[in-house]
Amino acid sequence: MVSDGKAGMKFFKRTDLIVITAIMAAGLAIWLVYGLIYGSRAVKAEIYFDNEPVETVSLEKGRERTFSIRQKPEVVFKVDNDGNIGFIESDCPDKICVKTGKLHMVGQSAACLPNGVVLRIVPAEGRSGDEPDIIIGSGGK
Amino acid sequence: MGDKVTIGQYDKNSGGTKRLVLTGMIFALALILTIVENSFPPLPLPVPGVKFGLSNIAVMYALFFLSKGQAYAIAILKAVFVLAVRGLIAALLSFCGGIFSLTLMLIVLLLFKDKVSYLAISVSGAVAHNIGQFVAITFIYTGFYLLAYLPLLLVSGVIAGIVTATLLRFIIPALKRLG
Repeated sequence: MVSDGKAGMKFFKRTDLIVITAIMAAGLAIWLVYGLIYGSRAVKAEIYFDNEPVETVSLEKGRERTFSIRQKPEVVFKVDNDGNIGFIESDCPDKICVKTGKLHMVGQSAACLPNGVVLRIVPAEGRSGDEPDIIIGSGGK
Repeated sequence: MGDKVTIGQYDKNSGGTKRLVLTGMIFALALILTIVENSFPPLPLPVPGVKFGLSNIAVMYALFFLSKGQAYAIAILKAVFVLAVRGLIAALLSFCGGIFSLTLMLIVLLLFKDKVSYLAISVSGAVAHNIGQFVAITFIYTGFYLLAYLPLLLVSGVIAGIVTATLLRFIIPALKRLG
């Protein structure tokens, strides 16, 4: 129904399917490789308040607990028996942080920007990537 | 006056006023599309901020039927509007996403000329928009791992690109009456 503005340009071509499939496949491949590399690696969680690290949480299995940080008692975190961590309660309007769900892989993060609280998963030992590591792992070693 | 002219030709034939008005109207359209999109409930996804980017329809239209200068003008104006309404960080994200997206669409368009389809350009633009925004986020909140979210960005970009290209297709006839 549309006569194209640019001469000869089509809305859809069969090769688009290849492009779309390639992008999807790349996504899947990265996801699989990432899971393979980081999925089983020991991790810990870092909690930031106003861009300052305020808490480091070890995430070993079989130690379920809920807690909050001193600076924001309205925001409640939970570590489950499988060593996943997530927001479970917050007083923010959108609840995006709670909807993000449980995290367990390096690089995953959840944020409650209205409250200025960010939760990040980092490798359990050594440095947490490309920034200076302020908190040394507290994982009971 | 009675000649058959497309908007693209109008652009060359007539002076700066027409161009100014058209750019303004398309920019207004971009803002309206943003407002329409924001009035929908957020998509039920674990990562915040994933959306179709309907205002990209206006940018694509400018790129296809007006000129690349006007398309960039609209992308930059959009970021300025976001700065006024939602603050600096949101504006930076809008700017990075918009410029990344437009630049990649332009490159694809220049490389493949008219052998490429609207859909393919729209998809590459949407994916680039996501990646551009995420690069900005990794700079603002240091230490986000891009790789962990890249799969989601790619897939959501593809879906957003298909949606915006389809909508553009149906909007084109209406926009053509602008000329």
